[in-house]
Amino acid sequence: MKARFDQAAQSVIDVLHEFGGAWLFMGKVIRIYRRTHGYRKAIIEQVAEVSTRTMSTVIFAGVFVGAILVLQFDAMLRRFDAQALLGGLNTSATIREVGPLIISFLLAGKIGAYTTAELASMRVTEQIDAVESLGTDPIQYLIIPRFFGIVLSSVILLSIGLFVSVAGAVLVAQAFSGMNLYQYIASIPRFAGAWTLFEGLVRSTLFSTIVATISTFKGYTASGGARGVGKAVTQSAIYINIYIVLANFISTSLLEWIHDFIYW
Amino acid sequence: MSIRFEGVHKAFGPKKVLDGVSFEVKKGEILFILGKSGMGKSVTLKHIIGVLAPDAGKIHVDQYEVSSMFTEEGSELLPKVRQRCGMVFQHPALLDSLTNFDNIAFGLRTPQYREKIGREPSESEIENIVLEKLGLVHLDPEILPLYPSEVSYGVQKRVSMARTLAPGPDYLLFDEPTTGLDPLSTASINELIAELSRSLKVTSIIVSHDMACALSIADQILFLDQGKILLMAPPQEVVRSKIPLVSEFFQETLSLLPPDWRFE
Repeated sequence: MKARFDQAAQSVIDVLHEFGGAWLFMGKVIRIYRRTHGYRKAIIEQVAEVSTRTMSTVIFAGVFVGAILVLQFDAMLRRFDAQALLGGLNTSATIREVGPLIISFLLAGKIGAYTTAELASMRVTEQIDAVESLGTDPIQYLIIPRFFGIVLSSVILLSIGLFVSVAGAVLVAQAFSGMNLYQYIASIPRFAGAWTLFEGLVRSTLFSTIVATISTFKGYTASGGARGVGKAVTQSAIYINIYIVLANFISTSLLEWIHDFIYW
Repeated sequence: MSIRFEGVHKAFGPKKVLDGVSFEVKKGEILFILGKSGMGKSVTLKHIIGVLAPDAGKIHVDQYEVSSMFTEEGSELLPKVRQRCGMVFQHPALLDSLTNFDNIAFGLRTPQYREKIGREPSESEIENIVLEKLGLVHLDPEILPLYPSEVSYGVQKRVSMARTLAPGPDYLLFDEPTTGLDPLSTASINELIAELSRSLKVTSIIVSHDMACALSIADQILFLDQGKILLMAPPQEVVRSKIPLVSEFFQETLSLLPPDWRFE
């Protein structure tokens, strides 16, 4: 019994250790960027690479996210004869919550895992040590472009994802709920405004920062050959998902509180 | 001009890797570090270029104390040490995303190299240096536009050596340079190391398991075991040593040497 308790306690300590390590790592990345202004060309290349590599998945998922939400909301609103609210509710939920969350999970699965695996392979084959030994800071050369590439591209992907999601929702609303485009759009201003867009942007940036921090941190600190690479990728995926869910809960509470404070 | 270790300690968790290691390598000398796997040989090299920080003790490279460079202020001097040291890693450690040309030219495009020559090197200068170093490692220019994955492991090792030589280091550090090579390539790389060390008149530290090579080219041989120095002596004294691990290494080597081999 005591052994199990010790094991559980050690796991908690390990998670907290990783969490602290990731925070310190993010601080170091930002500090070095502010001091050196990184490799701007490399950052732009990374933004383009991440955006183009994830675009098709985001578009595909975005259309269906919008469509699924319409079907769910439509079924509920029909009971209360409140279908006129469908466009507003659906758009608000997509921009504030579902869009940032889905896009972040997609980024985590596609770009996060790729980044961790790439950096971890570079670490275990001593490529990072070689960069360092040749007098180049690996954080500046390897991490900063990837880190900011993920964060900045998420804004582009979110915009595209939300657009196609709303478009998908309109199409499904017309096909299954008998609503026309005007009816759908008319209710949007009642539920979604500037604050909704702000919430979506804050969440999206927060979640993509988590993806960028954890994926680069786990890759950069990997050790132990091919097994170490596998372990780093798995841990990266687990930690990213856990931290995104936690950050979602905290950001929702905080943003609601701020919203009430400002508007009431 | 020397590399000096003074009572260096390093542990990874509970495992002591270096336990009060002290030695000095003078200008132009070739030092071989021998010992079983996991005895701190590679760790010793990584301390010289400041990739690893010692837990205690001092490391001097010329007038610089590397061990004091792990603070925010001290780290500004670390590139000056790395500029003097060129390290060939156990793996070729070439950057997969760059061509062989760009890999060799990597160290010529760093701020440290610009500082060393006092200006920005032109592309034609970089090309000339790359071709010169390629010649030193006996490779043809045809491999330059190829990526590391498109050439054999032996060629990658040579490209890695050319990359190390390109910025003109004063010290060459080799970390098991023949690992993973067939016997013919091993012999050729060993010859190349001896040739480069002598012709370029640089101080070399070579971590290896190859005692035959050590006996033929080393000025000093250092045996590490359990984090401590068992023996540091010229080859003539090493072959007469009665220390069990040293004589064991020598006996193993004798079986690999020609029957008529005599120590010169």
